[in-house]
Amino acid sequence: MTTSFENLNAGDSIDGPKFAVSRESIRLFCDASLDYNPLHLDDDYMKGNFGKTNFGGIIMHGMNNFGLISRMITDWAYPAGAIHRRLETRWVKPVKPGDTIQPTGVIKSKQVTKNSRWVLIDVMVRNQTGEKVATGEAMVEFPH
Amino acid sequence: MAQAEAFETDFWKDANLRKAWDDIVPGAPRKTIPYTLTKETIELYCRSVGEDHPIYFDEAYAKTTRYGGLIAPPSIHILLMFSCTPADDWMRSPGTVNAGQSWSYNIPARPNDVITLQARALDKSIKRERLFVVHDNVFFNQHGDVICSGRGWTIRPE
Repeated sequence: MTTSFENLNAGDSIDGPKFAVSRESIRLFCDASLDYNPLHLDDDYMKGNFGKTNFGGIIMHGMNNFGLISRMITDWAYPAGAIHRRLETRWVKPVKPGDTIQPTGVIKSKQVTKNSRWVLIDVMVRNQTGEKVATGEAMVEFPH
Repeated sequence: MAQAEAFETDFWKDANLRKAWDDIVPGAPRKTIPYTLTKETIELYCRSVGEDHPIYFDEAYAKTTRYGGLIAPPSIHILLMFSCTPADDWMRSPGTVNAGQSWSYNIPARPNDVITLQARALDKSIKRERLFVVHDNVFFNQHGDVICSGRGWTIRPE
């Protein structure tokens, strides 16, 4: 069934594509985003402590999660004629080379305003062991 | 790489020029620089997150959509945050940890748009011995239209 505002219900799910994280994928994201923070590049630097935290090696950009969630939302919205309007995320666990992550979404609610129609979506990213690495919420507009 | 010839990829190089948490003044504008977004940089960004929708690559297809031409993915602001700020911007301080971000999207960025940024620290705080700064950002195209606006929460290295 084609996705439309009318036939969406709370609890409906959206599955995003799996993404294999590697040193190469992290380096590519450095080049694409221009974020060359040594957190993502420098193994020696990452042997150190960050306050009470030791990551034990380089970590993926948190915004790589954000980009994957956004991709999931647009790939879902475009065929329905809908528009990705908002995304809020929080990072809850670092992602490292060798991890495989996957974004998912669950429709939380729908709302009609003066000029348009909106769908609120709880989003998350899990790693290969099912642990949440990012959570948040998205808002998609279904124009009349 | 996105406009690599003009971009310093060694974030240690100007580290001493960047503001520490103590020096950041909430409300004070950050220095920003205009950036011309290209089809190539959009394609590179798309590749890094696996974006393969034809609206980002296929001009003939894109012309048939509501947008009337090629666009960039909404999350292109991830690139724009670094391309629109100079080397001494505190967002590049090594060890800056991104704790979360929220963004609202108005109109898409497009190839050849000249993007400008208005940005500032909005708030700073200490929680569980960690130094937080909230940053507040709005990206515009060459017509003065808002592309997107967003906030981020970072943990500062010092």
